[in-house]
Amino acid sequence: MQNIISNPDQAHEHDSGEERKLIGDRGDYFLNRMQGETGVNISACYQCERCTNACPVSHFMDIKPHQAIRYVQLGWREDLLKSSTIWMCLSCEMCTTYCPNEVDVAEIINHLRNMAAHSSITPKEKSLAVFHQTFLEVLQKSGKVNEFRLMNAYYSKPDILKERVKQGILIEDLLLGMTLLRKGRLKLFTPKSRAIKEIKKVYSQTRGEIV
Amino acid sequence: MRLSFYPGCSLEGMANDYARSIDAVFKNLSIDLVEIEDWSCCGATAAHSLNQAMSVVLPARNLAAAEKMELDIVSPCAMCFNRLRFSQNMIKKKVFDIPWPVTGDIRVHDMTRFLAEPPMIKSIKERILRPLNGLRVVCYYGCQMVRPPKITGYTDYENPQTMDRIAAAAGAQVIDWSYKATCCGASIGIARREIGESLTKRILQKARQSGAEAIVVSCPLCQSNLDMIQKDRSKRHTPVFYFTELLRLSFEEHGDPKWFKMHFTDPVPLLRAKGLLS
Repeated sequence: MQNIISNPDQAHEHDSGEERKLIGDRGDYFLNRMQGETGVNISACYQCERCTNACPVSHFMDIKPHQAIRYVQLGWREDLLKSSTIWMCLSCEMCTTYCPNEVDVAEIINHLRNMAAHSSITPKEKSLAVFHQTFLEVLQKSGKVNEFRLMNAYYSKPDILKERVKQGILIEDLLLGMTLLRKGRLKLFTPKSRAIKEIKKVYSQTRGEIV
Repeated sequence: MRLSFYPGCSLEGMANDYARSIDAVFKNLSIDLVEIEDWSCCGATAAHSLNQAMSVVLPARNLAAAEKMELDIVSPCAMCFNRLRFSQNMIKKKVFDIPWPVTGDIRVHDMTRFLAEPPMIKSIKERILRPLNGLRVVCYYGCQMVRPPKITGYTDYENPQTMDRIAAAAGAQVIDWSYKATCCGASIGIARREIGESLTKRILQKARQSGAEAIVVSCPLCQSNLDMIQKDRSKRHTPVFYFTELLRLSFEEHGDPKWFKMHFTDPVPLLRAKGLLS
């Protein structure tokens, strides 16, 4: 591949292909909101890319961690909520740990993930979003998470089952499940917590319901 | 000595063998672990990903229960430990309302660091009946136990030593390596398995290249990830032990192959070859 920097014509072509986004009326509203809600000094980022280099899954992300921070500064909210980045993040905290300016990158990505979950935008990595959702559903039903119930609930989601069939890994998954059962690692029944009602109540409250 | 014990969901299911080995080891060390009354899930990755308030409130319920018991918490699971500490931190900031009376002042230990304190190491050494001579291991810590250091309190987060010290006390030959705290990809391992596997495979490969015969872990998800990936693909097997399984093995006169029946990668041949199991 030709180096676009050494070829001015091509570089120009590359630039003109993308629509330039003006900050315009956005101002720094989104940046201030994010800084307020996370308590992180996002303006301190000077794009050294240490976070992206530390990230074990940055090569699976469409917006790299350091770019995500820049996008927040520019107020490009909808691009972030539509990205695979926010779902791909493992929360391994490498970025946060190695940022020389103590920008809590993982917390920002996590906060964006929360925002995306409460928005009308379809998650780019739906299987991951649905997995988290399923986990919370199972948690609410029993106060604890039993792996067997979790996997059953996850595979019962219509899109997930379809996707697993399409990828041809359903049989492999079932065989793995059988082995886990045989080895006694999947327990069909585990005791529930008595806290189900309390947990359901708080959960509703955090979603803005008056209980 | 008495401590409250927060086992977490995994120890009732996938990591039931971890729970049993912890029980045996703490009995042997004469430390009384009292399970937290009616504990509930910490919310793990899902809660903080989708509902940040729940990620503070859920662990707070368990903190409140432990505060009622007036006992410091010891947590065997890296994720639970991380979430409990995080919740404590947020309780102090008073950003979210907690429906239970909780101050967040109680101490939360991760089990490896608790057992790696000098008096504990001494007490472990006194109880060793069969040192694990000649067993070459690497210790794998993963992410949630050590990062972010501001939450976990680890100062040596790049090269943590807690399990290294414990395994060495049990007589194993502990090898230094560079992938101690590299993420194994557990949080996306089910929904995006190919990505999870690519991360896990790398850790396994590096452990083998460093000359280890086995990997020692403390996190239930790290264990199942590293163990299950070896289910059929490779001819070479590298067993993945919980650190308490190794301690138990060195504490008791006669080990039992049944202790390891939940493992995918059968460690029994290795242990027999080393004369650690009859």
